[in-house]
Amino acid sequence: MTELLRGIVGMSDWRVWAMFGVGLALIWLAVKKEYEPNLLLPMGFGCLLANIPFSSAVGGGFLDVLFKGGITNELFPILIFIGVGAMIDFGPLLQDPEMLFFGAAAQFGIFFTMMLALLVGRIPGVMGIPGLREAAAIGIIGAADGPTSIYVATRFAPGLLAPITVAAYSYMSLVPIIQPPVIRALTTREERMIHMENPEREVSKNVKVIFPIAVTLIAGIIAPMSVALIGSLMFGNLLRESGVTERLSKTAQNELSSLVTILLGIAIGSSMGGKQFLNPTTLLIIAMGLVAFVFDTAGGVLFAKLINLFRKRKINPMIGACGISAFPMSARVIQKMAQQEDGGNFIIMHAVGANVAGQIASIIAGGLILALVR
Amino acid sequence: MDPVIAEGLRVSGLSYVLIFVVLGIFYGLVKLLLRILPRRDDLA
Repeated sequence: MTELLRGIVGMSDWRVWAMFGVGLALIWLAVKKEYEPNLLLPMGFGCLLANIPFSSAVGGGFLDVLFKGGITNELFPILIFIGVGAMIDFGPLLQDPEMLFFGAAAQFGIFFTMMLALLVGRIPGVMGIPGLREAAAIGIIGAADGPTSIYVATRFAPGLLAPITVAAYSYMSLVPIIQPPVIRALTTREERMIHMENPEREVSKNVKVIFPIAVTLIAGIIAPMSVALIGSLMFGNLLRESGVTERLSKTAQNELSSLVTILLGIAIGSSMGGKQFLNPTTLLIIAMGLVAFVFDTAGGVLFAKLINLFRKRKINPMIGACGISAFPMSARVIQKMAQQEDGGNFIIMHAVGANVAGQIASIIAGGLILALVR
Repeated sequence: MDPVIAEGLRVSGLSYVLIFVVLGIFYGLVKLLLRILPRRDDLA
């Protein structure tokens, strides 16, 4: 009888009710708003499972096993990257390699937010003072790349993993709401109406096969800490582009990605215990995630405006905003904005190229942070 | 200046510059590949 009653007694803790609210809110966002449903729904349900008083799913239960077996040892984000790599077509980027630099520029939010976290952490009484590692883990939300955020947070700030993941995936799904006002604030209508010629260049299969191998070797030699991330992404891409492993490529794109996403989501949800999650630091992390996305967008747009000062053939500065890793959401948003200004303006190929560059740049950023932050 | 802030500035600045350097190398790599392996040389 006591065994049956202790669950009901456990419900007297307000944090249980609050975390039920958080879990249900994530499920609502997934089901009703379709915001990153593949991840937010398992996370929301995992959150419910973890916060039921005396839940057998945690405290040595199956969610703990999943967390230790897939998150703590960084396995799940790496497997997700194999699937992502198999889904990416680097063709638009290879046709127009200048877009790589927009991927670099749009990582600005990571570093701005990292510094902001350090500064805010030094205001007495505002936040548990983060060291450089915690600040870097918060800043990496600006990578706009869920697996990279999880990977870096697991290494640098495992206690902050849940809010960092929630922020990263939530803002990725909110890109259509976050980016347009920032872009409009930083560009004129004339700039947004700039047309760009589509690249005519054809890319051979040989280039598409050599690219993932060469990028892995170069990035790995420069920043060995990035090998797991960039290597898994490029391995997935090689499965796709080789043309001889179609079955493996499709498995990576579908079954592997889906299976790992389920396990990743529910395992992260299980880390959202009320005691760890309900504190001012969580709210600040979620607020700083928004700052990261805003400054990523600003960094990309301002970089495009800067290089336009030196170019005869101008670039539509909205392309700079596509340098974030939220693929293909950001490219779609920018194409839609371009057509709102001028119905005949098609910049989607450049936008996709910059967006794909953002995927590579965010991983390089993660690897460099892992290498440089002590 | 607070040493952690100073270290943060150093790491942030260096990382941001290095991202451009690494992607610049990739840019050179792609340009080179496109030049030495144009579409007509495709073995597929």
